[in-house]
Amino acid sequence: MKALGAWIEDRLGLGPVAAFLAKKEVPCHRHTILYYTGSSILLFLGIQIVTGVLLALYYQPTLAEANASVVRIMTEMPLGWLVRSVHSWSATFMIALVFAHLLGIAFTKAYRKPREATWLTGVLLLGSSLAFGFTGYLLPWDELSLAATKVGTNLPKALPVIGTWLTQVMRAGDDVTGDTITRFFIVHVSVLPLALLAILGVHIFLVQRHGMSAPLEAERDKIKLPWLPFWPNFLLREAGVWFVLLGVLLTVAVFLAPGVGPQADLMAPAPEGIKPEWYFLFMFQTLKLFPARILGLNGELIAMLVMMAGMAAVLFLPFIDDRPFERKGKVITGLAWAGLAYAIGMSIWSLM
Amino acid sequence: MKLPASLYSRRAFLNGLIGGWLAALGSAFISPLLKYIVPPTPEPDQVTVPFADYKDMAPHTVKGFAWGNKPGLLQRTEAGEYVAFVGVCTHLDCNVSFVAEQRRFYCACHEGWYDENGLNVAGPPPSPLRRLSVSVEGDTLIVKRQG
Repeated sequence: MKALGAWIEDRLGLGPVAAFLAKKEVPCHRHTILYYTGSSILLFLGIQIVTGVLLALYYQPTLAEANASVVRIMTEMPLGWLVRSVHSWSATFMIALVFAHLLGIAFTKAYRKPREATWLTGVLLLGSSLAFGFTGYLLPWDELSLAATKVGTNLPKALPVIGTWLTQVMRAGDDVTGDTITRFFIVHVSVLPLALLAILGVHIFLVQRHGMSAPLEAERDKIKLPWLPFWPNFLLREAGVWFVLLGVLLTVAVFLAPGVGPQADLMAPAPEGIKPEWYFLFMFQTLKLFPARILGLNGELIAMLVMMAGMAAVLFLPFIDDRPFERKGKVITGLAWAGLAYAIGMSIWSLM
Repeated sequence: MKLPASLYSRRAFLNGLIGGWLAALGSAFISPLLKYIVPPTPEPDQVTVPFADYKDMAPHTVKGFAWGNKPGLLQRTEAGEYVAFVGVCTHLDCNVSFVAEQRRFYCACHEGWYDENGLNVAGPPPSPLRRLSVSVEGDTLIVKRQG
């Protein structure tokens, strides 16, 4: 056994990695719970990959077959309804945890020097997760998914110069058609997974490189926090959290399986009460409220620019909040709470 | 004048040359790639439908037809004439419906309203519905792009 270990070590040279993990420390403080969000996201990502491959065994990304093949998965394939339900719910859980992860890091200002690059890759991962949600939403090809995709892919059109081209790239032409399904499918199952895994590799490497971030006060006052060894103490606790989450996921997936709407008709009017997935609701409500013209300017363009400015502010937060210990840092925390309140308020409003 | 040493090392020159080649090659590949990913989907110049299907429409009613990949809406006016619109909301591209009781067009996505003449009257739409020109020739109805 020892000889085999040595044989492998000679060829892979992973000793330093194992040594690193063996002495990795996890600080204990009142925000330690936030450390669990990262690994829980990985749990749901794994579930997404497995259930996604299973769905792709039967799903057919064409105009004629998309909706029918989802119906077939739901009604004819053994446990197909459960696979799809887990995929759909796990997506929701994953995105909820991505938001929790991001908010936890934002409000503890864990993005401060030297972790700016970790934050940047994290925001890119949020973007890819939302892109997964957006492209996946179209695939069942029912009335709601058609209307949501028409709206979503029309948004870039308001941008000058490249707007129309961007919309055409997303739609595979001027309109949402069968070609759009094929395109969204390929992006959903090939382009985005490659991008996400590449960025995730960098993200996880950076997290290990810098170690777990300690709270602001501990760093300022140079307090040495108590800590747990990552292996095996913290990992076992994480495994406990995973089991609980897995139980919740399966329970929800069994009792609240998503349905499939009637097949989308390109010529039919948009159905009443269309709504995007919950994580796009605040943008949806914002768009609804923006008037057509503001001071003679195109309201849609202004809405787009405001949203893009918001996204840029989130992306570059570590560089904007470059003095986390000072007054500026406190003001930015206040603004972040206001932004969060806006998103939650708008989401609730859109459901009323 | 003869310099005692070169200002530019051979290594730096070759790096620049090869780097430049690679950049040129890369950009030469990008243009066909960008062309390839947008398929041509021209809008139809005109669409013909059998007139018989639309002959018996009552005034202030609307009937659909296919304008390429978009829904077209054919409306009969008080005077008995035909008017056609592209039935797509000018806000964010959702398909609109005609609410007969109110004689208005409605977009369910963000609650946009247009009057009977396609004029945006309420909600977020920034401009009127796009109009198409309609003519009748024998037993076919011809819908054409305007202008």
